Amino acid sequence: MAGPAVQPGDPVPTPSARRPVPVWSQWLGTAVRLGLAVVWGWAGLAKIADPAEAAQAVRAYEILPEGLVKPIGYALPFLELALALLLVIGLGVRLVAGVSALLLLTFIAGIASAWARGITIDCGCFGGGGHVDASQTEYLQEILRDTGFLLLAGWLLWRPRTRFSVDGWLAS
Amino acid sequence: MSEKNREGKRTARERMLEQRAADEASSRRRKKLLVGGAVLVVIAAAVVTGVVVQNERSKPETPVAAPAGTIGDKNLVIPTGSANAPAVLTVYEDPRCPACGIFEREFSSTIDQLEDAGKVYTNYHIVSFIDRAVPGKGSKIGANALACAQDAGHFRDFHDVLYRNQPEETNDAFGNKAVLLNLAKQVNGLDTPAFESCVNDGKYGGWVSSVQQDFDKSSYKSTPTVLLNGQPIYPKNGSEEITPANLVKWVDAANQGKQLGTTGSNGQAPAPTSTASEANNPSPTAG
Repeated sequence: MAGPAVQPGDPVPTPSARRPVPVWSQWLGTAVRLGLAVVWGWAGLAKIADPAEAAQAVRAYEILPEGLVKPIGYALPFLELALALLLVIGLGVRLVAGVSALLLLTFIAGIASAWARGITIDCGCFGGGGHVDASQTEYLQEILRDTGFLLLAGWLLWRPRTRFSVDGWLAS
Repeated sequence: MSEKNREGKRTARERMLEQRAADEASSRRRKKLLVGGAVLVVIAAAVVTGVVVQNERSKPETPVAAPAGTIGDKNLVIPTGSANAPAVLTVYEDPRCPACGIFEREFSSTIDQLEDAGKVYTNYHIVSFIDRAVPGKGSKIGANALACAQDAGHFRDFHDVLYRNQPEETNDAFGNKAVLLNLAKQVNGLDTPAFESCVNDGKYGGWVSSVQQDFDKSSYKSTPTVLLNGQPIYPKNGSEEITPANLVKWVDAANQGKQLGTTGSNGQAPAPTSTASEANNPSPTAG
């Protein structure tokens, strides 16, 4: 699943004569990678303390059937922490960025759906969640924030090679 | 050297280079597959761990221990007033919720009177979700203290004292057990070692979580939620605004032609010594 698809029929694989990635971009990539790691780490830790609260944050979207509410609410913080860990060490950055982008797109879709249906909830992105007063919804800010995070993931999808990463160490 | 020979040598060298390139490419592919596999294993392990660990950590929806005298199929409801009163007033409240404080300070004496007149049987659901939105633990610790007061047979009085002394929503005074124990001194007979250890040990923490989980699954989304015989009456009953006078009027209208319940119980059910699992425990001897 990582990188371009393997083509067994290709007799002459292209050698590593790719366009070299400038050094500044690798350093910027490290900053982006660690930035996204902080986002996932923060989001995961904020959701982990109270399982019932995490489940209610999921339930409040009124999208998933009751049977999936708890598994998703319980697993999500651990998934986020795993992504944070992988980003910190820089292992499989392109794949991790891809999973991050998918997750963020799912979150944005969920928030947009709640907004469109007129439900009044807190996104529960960084803990909390559940129903709030109509005057306290912040859908636009939440979507913009997640879009910002999505840009970080997009950068890493485009330029996964970064300094101080296990990926770089394995390739050398 | 003949042309032919040179041709042959070059092809051999080219073939060797090609072979090396092919080897390098396949080694890169193998590495990529290994890294991708490792990433997926980490992610899958995290998801499975999350479900197992959080399932283990989460408090059950049916409480292991409930305060004495609680009612309902899971003993999540604290009743006040006499069980044989014809009308049921259902109240969902969070100890930290400011609107609940406003409601209680305006209505608690009216509700107490309705209870003592045998007109309503009040069912309290003490929820604790403000802690999720506002930093602190005052909802949970306050709800536990209310459960302890119920266990001691002093729920109604302590409940009224708490709401009269409710701090600002952002002030987590109820998260401080000493504050709650101090307030308990205002209730005759509540300031006992048993109550103190019940509050300090968070004895009914699991029950508090069960009550909240029950609320999470309900269709009610905010507090206070107030129902008269199942019909929402807060902030309005139909087009009529709730006021103490209107509440009395609505209760009397609902009770018309019905036998009133036992009067004068002060709503203070005596605390049965056993963990009362029997629902609807009437309390004619209280007073």
